[in-house]
Amino acid sequence: MTRAPIPRGGAGYPALLAQLHDPPPRLWLRGDAVDALARPAVAVVGARSCSAYGSQVARSLARDLAGAGLVVVSGLARGIDAEAHRGALEAGGATVAVLGCGIDRDYPARHAELARRIVEAGGLVVSEYEAGVEPAPWRFPARNRIIAGLALATVVVEARERSGALITADFALELGREVFAVPGEITSDLAAGTNRLIRQGAAPLLEVEDVLDALGIEAEPGGASASVADVGEPARRVLAELADGPRGPDDLVRTTGLDAATVAAALVELELAGAAFEAEGTYRPARRGRAPPVCRPG
Amino acid sequence: MLARATTHALVGLDARPIEVEAHLQRGVPAFAIVGLPDKACQEAKERVRSGIASAELEWPLRRITVNLAPAGLRKEGSGFDLPIALAILAASRQVPLDRLARHAALGELALDGRVRPVRGAIVAAEAALHAGLGLLLCAAESAPEAALGGVEPVPVRHLAEAAAYLRGRAEPQPVEPPPPLPAALLPDLRDVRGQERARRALEIAAAGRHNLLLGGPPGTGKTMLARRLPGILPPLTREEALEVTRIHSVAGVLPASQPLVAHPPFRAPHHTASTPAIVGGGPGPRPGEATLAHRGVLLLDELGEFPRPSLEALRQPLEDGTIAVARIAGRILFPARFLLVGTMNLCPCGARGDPAVECSCSPARLAAYREKLSRALLDRFDLVLTMPRARSSEVVGPAGEGSTAVSTRVSAAAERLAHRPPAVSEAAGDLLARAVDSLGLSARGHARVGRVAATVAALAASERVEPAHVAEALSYRSPTDLAVAA
Repeated sequence: MTRAPIPRGGAGYPALLAQLHDPPPRLWLRGDAVDALARPAVAVVGARSCSAYGSQVARSLARDLAGAGLVVVSGLARGIDAEAHRGALEAGGATVAVLGCGIDRDYPARHAELARRIVEAGGLVVSEYEAGVEPAPWRFPARNRIIAGLALATVVVEARERSGALITADFALELGREVFAVPGEITSDLAAGTNRLIRQGAAPLLEVEDVLDALGIEAEPGGASASVADVGEPARRVLAELADGPRGPDDLVRTTGLDAATVAAALVELELAGAAFEAEGTYRPARRGRAPPVCRPG
Repeated sequence: MLARATTHALVGLDARPIEVEAHLQRGVPAFAIVGLPDKACQEAKERVRSGIASAELEWPLRRITVNLAPAGLRKEGSGFDLPIALAILAASRQVPLDRLARHAALGELALDGRVRPVRGAIVAAEAALHAGLGLLLCAAESAPEAALGGVEPVPVRHLAEAAAYLRGRAEPQPVEPPPPLPAALLPDLRDVRGQERARRALEIAAAGRHNLLLGGPPGTGKTMLARRLPGILPPLTREEALEVTRIHSVAGVLPASQPLVAHPPFRAPHHTASTPAIVGGGPGPRPGEATLAHRGVLLLDELGEFPRPSLEALRQPLEDGTIAVARIAGRILFPARFLLVGTMNLCPCGARGDPAVECSCSPARLAAYREKLSRALLDRFDLVLTMPRARSSEVVGPAGEGSTAVSTRVSAAAERLAHRPPAVSEAAGDLLARAVDSLGLSARGHARVGRVAATVAALAASERVEPAHVAEALSYRSPTDLAVAA
């Protein structure tokens, strides 16, 4: 019950992909939403072994991009790729996973369920390889050219010096598409690749609007910041502290002077309002510069 | 000539009465013990013979048959030595039959005739009382423990002393029970500096008896904190203390200096412990660590290092508070209602969560580490939190609040939860419903957050569960992939 592949030049073959200098001769698909390939798409890619911070950024970025009506393209790999797919699914958006193996294979196997959810939510799993083709190291760079080819812009979230995500960025540059990199700490291996991209001229991504502006898409006025206005006084104080950098709950107890129970409740309030998130015991603001004033007027 | 003595055999946590019959017949001198004795019991022959000789009593040169009835029940251990010796002495008319019949007896004999303590004295004492025997001949070390069982212990240090007492020629020398161990000897929370969040979680765990999972890099004080949990739990009631004492006595871990386990026990089996060692087992099933932690704390340090079968075996006691050990001879139920504390690193190399070190684990290795813990087991942890590495400012900072103050709050909250559990306010219910959607809580996670929120409210001495209580309860699910959400 395999669907017939779309041949190059056939109906539904994405025009953007045809701009590659070696476009895949045919595309195999899983899922019915063939039109997802025709909609404007952004690739979100990065390291497989990523940090908790990176996965959170990838997820919320993909969520916002999908929320703005864009299709999120990635490679179904562990780490950043999977988080990007998940973020798009959370926003109820369509997402496209490009495989580096036969269309019938779930690679990595642990993402079989994710692939199923992608297809169910009106997305697609795509490959240039017919059923039965084994995953092989040299097929992944080839897969990356499809990811870059399908997207109007490519965002690299975290990448080491020699990362497959940089290959995707190279393909995107060759095609003259936008490339964004999320800047990171200069001392972190995981940010070495992305920071280098920025030095080479990629646009640093500071907020999702950077991508939307570049694609000429009108950003919806921030829904998240509206709900931040509803949080209580302790939560405002905690958020103001977080604006200075990531903090653990114990630091917050000391710097705000609130007790552990109040800080814990405030952090959950911020999480539910989408204003902060937690990774491995450390809390970070979900966005920069949105901390409301500490004191309520009046 | 026939004589009888009464003793008790342990079956699980119970003692069954055993009648020791000694029969002396004419014939070639011989000595046989029948009635399903195990190896240790079979070897009683040599100890009894030497013990009687050392006590300067006479070994009857007859054909001696000792029967342990009921013969179908397997007899284990060395506690039959004293009753066997006394039955032989009674059969050879060296001690009066009628006086022996009013006593139960329990104890191992040394080759020089001294009486040694054996495990399970309190259980045997209770069974003796149940059978209408108010006096228990036992080793001096066992006497305080036997007294807890309600009988009048007759402490005997030597077989000769026992014989003299039964002949009415000597009074037993009473044994003073040792003073109870003061709570001050338990590790105190004062020693924990900083770690405000973890201390708070510990308090909630103690008040509501919530299982606690502590994650974080090595050296952040996870184990140190867990060891301070028994010190803040509500003290055991007399009934509970006796129940725990019985278990510890049967397992043979009761210290002679402390016959009554007055404080909630703390057990921390190493991850190399076998599954039977943890949940109980063996040929004559003995309680495992989970049962020894009954009404106390079971700490599984480095949860991820425990073999999976051991962890899965703990699911039954976590569910219903009992462990069933099935044997051909029947099923034995051990109580095991413990507060489970697990600690684990966030990854196999331990660096994750520590800002100072970069984790070197491959994604596959990390996934394997986390997958070892089944969702079903992780689901039993009501409180999941990551402990950050303490900074130098904390390590040298002021001492934390002591266990006594925390314990007072915990007891008050436990009392409130038992008698006037706080009702959930409408706003709190709304928040919980909202959290289920946006944080992706499972149905079980929902119930768990509700339970923790009730404990938080009880700690705040609140009549109702307010949104702030729910919010705090929701915060104890980090790292998220260990908590229910995923």
